[in-house]
Amino acid sequence: MKRLIIFLMLLLPIVAMAQSGLYKTYASRQNLTVAQVSGFKLSESQRVDVVIIVADDDATWKQLAKELNIKGEAGSVSWLGDVDKPVQRVKWSSAPVLRVVASPARRTIAFYRINTEAQYDALLDYQLNNMNQAK
Amino acid sequence: MTENEFDMLWQRAEAEGYGKRLAAEYPLWRQKRRRAVSMVTALLIVVTVAMSLFTTQLRQSRDYEKVYCNRVGTTDAQWASLAAEMLLE
Repeated sequence: MKRLIIFLMLLLPIVAMAQSGLYKTYASRQNLTVAQVSGFKLSESQRVDVVIIVADDDATWKQLAKELNIKGEAGSVSWLGDVDKPVQRVKWSSAPVLRVVASPARRTIAFYRINTEAQYDALLDYQLNNMNQAK
Repeated sequence: MTENEFDMLWQRAEAEGYGKRLAAEYPLWRQKRRRAVSMVTALLIVVTVAMSLFTTQLRQSRDYEKVYCNRVGTTDAQWASLAAEMLLE
């Protein structure tokens, strides 16, 4: 029994380490449902980590939209954001970036962490292929 | 002799300096015990390798590897589906 407890105690920090800073930042906030999809498959060889935030009510969404400088109520908004400060819009570089997609209608924001150029290309291909299929 | 009794005897023998004599007197018991420990260890290794192979295959076949969520109520597959939908918004 003691060994099991020690094993679980060792396992806990490993699980916590797998959660991104972005997930941890928002997961503790009230009225937000936060999920991290690790290894989301873009193609056979490329996977990315995604953090999704869903505001439970309009007031929470307005607050979140204000924090992330999201304007407008219709359609969706997307930008490349800084990894440490997603509100900050950046241009594509080889450094890790976040592809942020916000949907005011769904009160949802998704952050796709892109670490490499191959992942960036795979993300664009994924959008292109699936949009073509949807049409 | 039970395992606990042998352990106590063994510790006392080690402390009092006649461990070698005890080992000579109970060679079969020690051999049996070592074999049991080896078998359990081997079994653990096999199970761990099999589980890691199985989970790796399972992960590769899915659209996602792992999902963490601060609330219950939505399945992992639903979150992965939302991640896909948001890219097509």
